[in-house]
Amino acid sequence: MAETPTVPERKEMPLGTPEHAPKARPKLPFLLDFFPLETADQTRLHRFYDRLREGRLSTTRCRRDGNLHWPPRTACPTCHSEELDWVDLPERGHLYAFSAVLAGAPFGMEGEVPFAVGLVDLVGAPLRLFGRIEGKSWTALRIGEPVTSESYEVGDGRVFYRFRTIG
Amino acid sequence: MSGRSVAIVGGVTTKFGVRPTTWSELAQEVGAALFRAVPELRAGDVDSLFVGAAEPERFAFQSHVAPLAAEQMGLAPHRILQRTELACASGQSAIRSAYAAIASGLSEVAVAVGVEKMNLPSMAEANSAMGCVMDRAWDGPHGATAPPFFAMVAQRHMLEFGTTEEQLAAVSEKNHRFANSNPTAQFHEKTFPREKLLRLPVVAPPLRLGDCSSMTDGAAAVVLVSEDLARMYTDTPAWIRGSGQYSDFHNLANAGSLTEWKGLTRASREALDRAGIGIRDLDLAEVHDCFTISEVIEYEALGLCGPGEGGRFAEDGRGDIGGDLVVNPRGGLLGCGHPLGATGIAQAVEVFQQFSGSVPAARQAPDPEWALVHNLSGSANVHSVMVYQRGGVA
Repeated sequence: MAETPTVPERKEMPLGTPEHAPKARPKLPFLLDFFPLETADQTRLHRFYDRLREGRLSTTRCRRDGNLHWPPRTACPTCHSEELDWVDLPERGHLYAFSAVLAGAPFGMEGEVPFAVGLVDLVGAPLRLFGRIEGKSWTALRIGEPVTSESYEVGDGRVFYRFRTIG
Repeated sequence: MSGRSVAIVGGVTTKFGVRPTTWSELAQEVGAALFRAVPELRAGDVDSLFVGAAEPERFAFQSHVAPLAAEQMGLAPHRILQRTELACASGQSAIRSAYAAIASGLSEVAVAVGVEKMNLPSMAEANSAMGCVMDRAWDGPHGATAPPFFAMVAQRHMLEFGTTEEQLAAVSEKNHRFANSNPTAQFHEKTFPREKLLRLPVVAPPLRLGDCSSMTDGAAAVVLVSEDLARMYTDTPAWIRGSGQYSDFHNLANAGSLTEWKGLTRASREALDRAGIGIRDLDLAEVHDCFTISEVIEYEALGLCGPGEGGRFAEDGRGDIGGDLVVNPRGGLLGCGHPLGATGIAQAVEVFQQFSGSVPAARQAPDPEWALVHNLSGSANVHSVMVYQRGGVA
């Protein structure tokens, strides 16, 4: 997958700021750890995580048919081309739907309960991403709530993305 | 339609619940119960075994469960032996595979069994197993499991159509009431009036505990045979007349509308078309009420009512005894619990027992001829449907 000019110009997102620093995650065995292995010796999508480390949430777009994918891929599902480009995604979005996990969290996430999750319609891209919603409590969220994407440190050098309410 | 006709000629369900027993012991238990329930069955006649098991690797640290189940049940299949995995629809998947094997002539007598052991010393580990059903690398790290996803479905349905918590509770009340006449149900002899349901703790807003099916240990098995053999086993075979499946996404980002389950509409239409009947011909339906909102949307997607009218359909008791048709007389996943691989098989057992008139009157559909069974799996991204007709009907 080639590195090509990206869609919107955007500033870097700061990695987890102190007040939003993730709680210490327990080190989990691979088969209980939902966070994927991110390096080039483990995944062909390592650029996704490299870019996320720079504060850029990105995905793949097919060079042949222009299809924008989520999640990022190694082959286009519509034309099956393997010539894909990395493109940045808009950081702003609106909540299409949300809920919260008040009980029944997976192993290693029990300490984060309660936490909100939602589906976010990105502004300016035909994608609806699922993710953790930080910022306002779930009791204060509403459909249409504006959010922005951000990256954060998972621990042991890994990063992931989530959304945060604006204002 | 090509192929031979195939019938379910008997079956059995173990007690569902929090069981002090292992995966293998559940397989032994359901095997012993099957040979008692179907006395005509000879182990040597069973040429094929299909084992519905969603996550034995996660829940029981056990792979290669098909030969394990065969050994536990005292079977030595010589045509087809395999496990079927389709998460919450793994049981129906076993039945569909057995059906295909017999219809094609590969098998004459097949057993479809479903076994799941879900209650673990660490329920957080069990919750992680449920999270694996989603797109692990992308949805999993956010903490995605079924309750928050179906909660978002309920939230959108409430927003778009005005569906209420009371209407959701009507589904739960009905299915728990039916479960009270089913001794194998996890919540047998527990009453859940609507006022009580509306006071239960919230699990994932707006869904409360009573809106969610539970983590359940249990097993179920059915015997399927070719058309020439059915009458050797029973006077009331449940003939498989149609089936259909549809799936077009996996990652939650690609769900599209949360409230319009086109996959179910397509799968059920195919199954009903193959059977040569319409939705109004059904006398009973066993549908996948993993959450109350699921049954509400299933009414709509099946065409039992219009889009957005599922809440009212539930409130008006149109899926109850005395309504348009009887929906989930077994007690549903809400009342019986949901041992993933066993659920689809237990639903088929209910259809067979409804056809033979052997269930208590409190949940007996009046003189049923046609039944539909539906399972969804994952985030309602797969829909699987089968249509059965009672044999011996003039």
